[in-house]
Amino acid sequence: MTALLVLALAASPELTVAHRRVTAPDGVALAVYRYARPGVSTTLPPVMLVPELGFSRAAFDFEGRGLARWLAASGRTVFVVELRGQGKAGPGFSLEAMGRDLRVVLDRLQLSQVDLVVHGWAGSAVLALNADEARVRRVIALATPLLAEIPSALAEAFLVEGGRFTTLAGSPAGARTFELLFSMGGEFPTGTDRAFLSTGTRDLTRPVAAELLAWMRQGDLPLGDESVVSRLVRLRRPTLLLLGLADGFANPELAAVWRERAPDVVRLRTFSRMETREDFSHLSMLLGRHAPTQVFPLIAEFLSEDLP
Amino acid sequence: MTRWLAFVVLAGCANLRVVPLPPEAERHRPKTSDGWELSLVRYRPQGPPTGRPVLLCHGISANERNMDLDDGHSMARWFAAQGREAWTMSVRATGASDGPDPQKGRALPIRFDHYWQHDLPTAIEHVRRTTGADRIDYVGHSMGGMIAYAYLSQGGQRLHAVATLGSPTRLDWGTGLERLLKAVGPMVVRDDVMLPSQLGAHLSAPFQTAVDDGPFQRFFYNPQSTRPETWQRLVAYGTADTAGGTARQLLTLVETSRFGSADGAHDFRAEMSTIRTPVIVVAAKLDRVALTPAVKDGFRALGGPKRWLLITRANGAAGEYGHMDLVIGERAPDEVFRPVLDFFNEHEQPTGTH
Repeated sequence: MTALLVLALAASPELTVAHRRVTAPDGVALAVYRYARPGVSTTLPPVMLVPELGFSRAAFDFEGRGLARWLAASGRTVFVVELRGQGKAGPGFSLEAMGRDLRVVLDRLQLSQVDLVVHGWAGSAVLALNADEARVRRVIALATPLLAEIPSALAEAFLVEGGRFTTLAGSPAGARTFELLFSMGGEFPTGTDRAFLSTGTRDLTRPVAAELLAWMRQGDLPLGDESVVSRLVRLRRPTLLLLGLADGFANPELAAVWRERAPDVVRLRTFSRMETREDFSHLSMLLGRHAPTQVFPLIAEFLSEDLP
Repeated sequence: MTRWLAFVVLAGCANLRVVPLPPEAERHRPKTSDGWELSLVRYRPQGPPTGRPVLLCHGISANERNMDLDDGHSMARWFAAQGREAWTMSVRATGASDGPDPQKGRALPIRFDHYWQHDLPTAIEHVRRTTGADRIDYVGHSMGGMIAYAYLSQGGQRLHAVATLGSPTRLDWGTGLERLLKAVGPMVVRDDVMLPSQLGAHLSAPFQTAVDDGPFQRFFYNPQSTRPETWQRLVAYGTADTAGGTARQLLTLVETSRFGSADGAHDFRAEMSTIRTPVIVVAAKLDRVALTPAVKDGFRALGGPKRWLLITRANGAAGEYGHMDLVIGERAPDEVFRPVLDFFNEHEQPTGTH
């Protein structure tokens, strides 16, 4: 940890954000960001946040807002991890390799226990590939599909084109695609969703876009002798599954079934505008105006409550 | 304040006039084997018949006018215009069907089981006898689709192809509504009463267009797809009281996740795997009554052949849909009814005996 480099101070003067590079055995650089309030201690383990494919740390910390700072402000030590293909990490050409990066980070940071927060399709892959990881205490699964399926014709077209976020940012049609897949109906602080598209995303590589597409088309992702489905249903960590009705990239109907398969482990909460301020989309669940009051407290509560 | 209230009520009342059925609508009243007359309305096909008759069934707290609201919002008249003879039906104690009358042998409770065991078979047989069709197609909205699931899972016959629109087979998806129903439902819902949902709808009808983004709009329809005035008409004459026994039976979906008969003898969801009737399952992306996971659960349970159709802009719809937009949405004919008809036609025998 001596290589930690303090990058910035958060809005709260006590909150520090530090960056570290971790190198995977195959030489790919991974990025780790540590959020903490010095002098504030908790008996709870650190929280590790893993963003969606094509998303970066910004999904959890954008312009001073987001889950990373929110959790850190409450006293938790938070690590946002950019696995290969995400953010400032090296290039990623395989979902399986990306998922295995988590263990590398845990090893290098010498963390004996963490709570894990994962998002979207990346979250499903990471959880499945680390289903037996004893260092994970609890899981927050944000829009993580169990049964894969093409979410929509538009999502399929986006992936067929290679999952290139940079092309979406350049045109009204692209912005509309981003809105329908990632931010539908979301209420954001002014300009946040557009700015996130420009600076918080990164194009998928062709192999990863193709692999994700194949995963959706086949309904499952083979992982050696097993698969995402078989591994996720044997995950025994207490898990809170949070789904937004307006999610257009990891539709809630692909994820909610996980609770049915593992009812003793998975607790489910589906957001709909009938009871919350919005239906919550893939992005607004993290960066929307109402996330800090309607989503984040559920996460903090689950991670701190006494469970059998 | 008083003037404002009076204005709202008067403006709201402008849309509350019941639009009568057109002259070509034929009323029929078949009787179930346990003594309830059901209201069915028949629309003959315009021009040469192009396929089988289609029977249309509404959801809970609703009646036949859901499927036949007015000339511009009528699934029944749309199917007739495509050459399909169309029939709407009201299940017992809704619309113009018989209400409860213990002295005439029509006692409460009315359970969901009565619909699939008596009402749907009666309607199917009446349409078959009247038209000479060997089998018919069916569209059920919300509970209307659940009735078809139960009927088919128990070996129900004579349905050639089925469409379910926003029909859940689970209601336990971790929403606040679920927690509310679990807490309050068993206390307020009794088997032997009719819940006054129609009265509530009528009292609220004048105000339905006065509140933008109010609870009804949030729960039932999306203004991207349905005009508030259209919704207001549905509230005015497309609603019905809710049988306590039915509500109680459906509450078990919330309490136990089980979609089955009231006596516990039948597990509909498990037995839906035996269904071989082609079914197209239609879901609305922003349906806050029958959430997409709840509708998808039914799709997964079906034996097949089957098709999943999610109505959303990301699949080409012009606007997002809520629960009622599937039947009264301004673009529903193109975005919902047309794919349903195409599905029915795809599953027609090449030699087609109707």
